[in-house]
Amino acid sequence: MSKPRLSPAMRRILLEALILCALSLTVGLSLNFQLVMKAFTGKTVVPVKGNPVTAGNRAATVVEQEFPIPVELDELDELLAAGALLVDARNLDAYRSGHLAGAVSLPLGKVAARLADFMRKVPKTRLLIVYCSGFGCPDSFDLGVRLLAAGYRQVRVFEGGFPQWRDAGRPLEEGLK
Amino acid sequence: MRVLGTVIYHLSRLLLAGIFIYAGVVKANDPIAFAGQIANYQLLPYAWNYLVAATLPYLELFCGVLLLLNKRVRPAVLVLFVLNLSFMLVLTSAIVRGLDIDCGCFSPSSEQTFSPVWALWRDAGFMLLLISTWMLRSRQHPPERADGD
Repeated sequence: MSKPRLSPAMRRILLEALILCALSLTVGLSLNFQLVMKAFTGKTVVPVKGNPVTAGNRAATVVEQEFPIPVELDELDELLAAGALLVDARNLDAYRSGHLAGAVSLPLGKVAARLADFMRKVPKTRLLIVYCSGFGCPDSFDLGVRLLAAGYRQVRVFEGGFPQWRDAGRPLEEGLK
Repeated sequence: MRVLGTVIYHLSRLLLAGIFIYAGVVKANDPIAFAGQIANYQLLPYAWNYLVAATLPYLELFCGVLLLLNKRVRPAVLVLFVLNLSFMLVLTSAIVRGLDIDCGCFSPSSEQTFSPVWALWRDAGFMLLLISTWMLRSRQHPPERADGD
């Protein structure tokens, strides 16, 4: 039984399609090499585990961060104990009805109006952990990018957000701070 | 009838070219935001979102340019067909898992959002355009001919 064979013309089309893919990969990687390398090497400004950032070793452990790095629920305790600040990216109504204990509100939709006040109160060297309504919510990532662009050097995103924190039985607060 | 086929072919080719050049340019301009939108689908390991965000826009852009120039049309249509099929599978998985996210199909930093259901219907329309472009191109330039790409 003979295998179905592609015609030479169809083989040529497939080959050209593959060349197109290879060309795009090459150009895309060339133009975004640093970004991709940082993502794959996990370079962040957050403390390396077991090597917390102090005034003495900050320069050695901190590198420039261009995008927020995710943080898992089980890493939060260590970071919060080290002085990290939780930032709620959801709207004010959601924050008022319940938020992670100790979190401050900075809704993504109001960031243009409220960022200056936030920056007066929170130093740029402080580690920020941004969250919103869980894995399906892009606001925490977008707010993290805005905070990095504003000059904050250590920004991480808690992708599990409010639902994961609540479902794990972690402490919640209500109302405005 | 042949003239009508030619007109439809060029219209669908130019429409697809415009769509994919636009999609490629806006995503290539903001790869970090695009990576964030890919990450929302929760399908790839974290760093791979950035690899896809760094390269996929250029694939859309190059295919769009080939369609615009009316050169290597079938390889470009084949790539876009596979790409679009992948988008549809990803969108379907987002719908099945109940994810309420912006599809990230065009401008990644736009305030305007598109639900996965709406994006799935739009991608189905793109598929029809791609299939008609392939078939009409094959009718006008049979692949067996030397210039029949």
